[in-house]
Amino acid sequence: MNSLTDNAIMLRVKDGDLDKMGLLFERYHRQLYGFLFHMTYHREVSEDMVQQVFYKMLRYRQTFTGSGQFIHWMYSIARNVLKDQGKRKQLQMQAGNAEQLADQLPGGITPEEQLEKKEARTGLYRAMEKLSDDHREILTLSRFQELKHQEIAQILNISEVAVKTRAHRALRELKNIYINAER
Amino acid sequence: MKCEQYEELFAGWINGELTPAEREKLDQHLIGCAGCREELAAMQQIWDVMAEVKAPEPSANVRVKFQAMLDTYKESVQDQKSNWDGIKEQLSRLWQWQPRWPLAYSLAILLIGLGCGYLFFHTGKGAEQDQQLKELTSQVHELKQTMMLALLENPSASERIRGVSYTSEIKHADKEVIDALLATLNNDPNVNVRLSTLDALTHLANHQEVRQGLIQSIVQQDSPLMQSAIADVMLKLQEKRSVKPFKELLKQKNLDPGVKEKINQTITQLI
Repeated sequence: MNSLTDNAIMLRVKDGDLDKMGLLFERYHRQLYGFLFHMTYHREVSEDMVQQVFYKMLRYRQTFTGSGQFIHWMYSIARNVLKDQGKRKQLQMQAGNAEQLADQLPGGITPEEQLEKKEARTGLYRAMEKLSDDHREILTLSRFQELKHQEIAQILNISEVAVKTRAHRALRELKNIYINAER
Repeated sequence: MKCEQYEELFAGWINGELTPAEREKLDQHLIGCAGCREELAAMQQIWDVMAEVKAPEPSANVRVKFQAMLDTYKESVQDQKSNWDGIKEQLSRLWQWQPRWPLAYSLAILLIGLGCGYLFFHTGKGAEQDQQLKELTSQVHELKQTMMLALLENPSASERIRGVSYTSEIKHADKEVIDALLATLNNDPNVNVRLSTLDALTHLANHQEVRQGLIQSIVQQDSPLMQSAIADVMLKLQEKRSVKPFKELLKQKNLDPGVKEKINQTITQLI
């Protein structure tokens, strides 16, 4: 079953074999959670959103045409869920939330390493929180989700050149915030 | 000013997505521009820090919730698949709200009764009144029938028995009711439900199709209880046509000895 492509599986779901969505869930729920986590820095909210994304993919399975990649479709739905959530609840990231989370995550091997990594991580989260949604989104997609610029262009529905420009600006902004905070 | 043209390549350089030509072009510029070198190095540094950061793992709850959501969704889709099936299922769900239906039933009867009274005392003359009364009676009859049919679909055996017992209130059983009862007689998994169905059908034995159905049902019953009960009914109805299926039943190897004896007796009494 693993040899089946995402698109082939999703097309089966579309044809009514709803159980196949379980395979896609196994393949992508962690990645999706990672994306939503960086966009909200809220674990429970991210988990709820993972649920919503999979529900929407089931509910609107007829809109999947198979002409594009499954994950691009998945990310566009995830972005819509984020947008809805933002509108409805006025989801504001609480200051310091990301920082606290950084503390909870596992670190390096030796105590020194752990401390060093924790500091780097805390600084980075603090800086990421200060970015605009657009900038945080593009960095999350390209760095944490390891997507190519061309894929990001399809997900965001903008040109590849626009992706490169935005990615550059986002990274520059992140660097400035990060360095200024260190001083 | 010139540097801005190259900035477009920065993201690709860091991401490792530049073509060899683009890379060459940027490298050339970097050799001569300390500002861009520094900028790019700083960006690379933060890019590397980002590699250290991983999002946490979702909790195990996510999988449980997903499975629950999928199951619920599948059920809701199946509900929509066939309208008729959906209606039947909803009806049977309604039955599970015990107090409401009998209440609704009583209310409906009350309303119809009030309607009858109103018609009787306030309107029209003989023929018209009779006509309306007949209509109302047939409506009540229909209502009972629908209730009975819905009850037969209920997952609980005791509810199905209740449904079967309603037939005694239906004076003119039509084909739909008879078919439903015969289907229950032959297919219901619960022997008690089948026994009460047999009882109900015996009361309707003045219908030719009921008799026919009962006779056909003889060979389909595999429980000794049902086999001897049906023999009693046939004896009561003095149905000679049942002899043939009974003889067939006797040929079955695993037939209960007690039942065998009873059927033999029945056959002699019928002939």
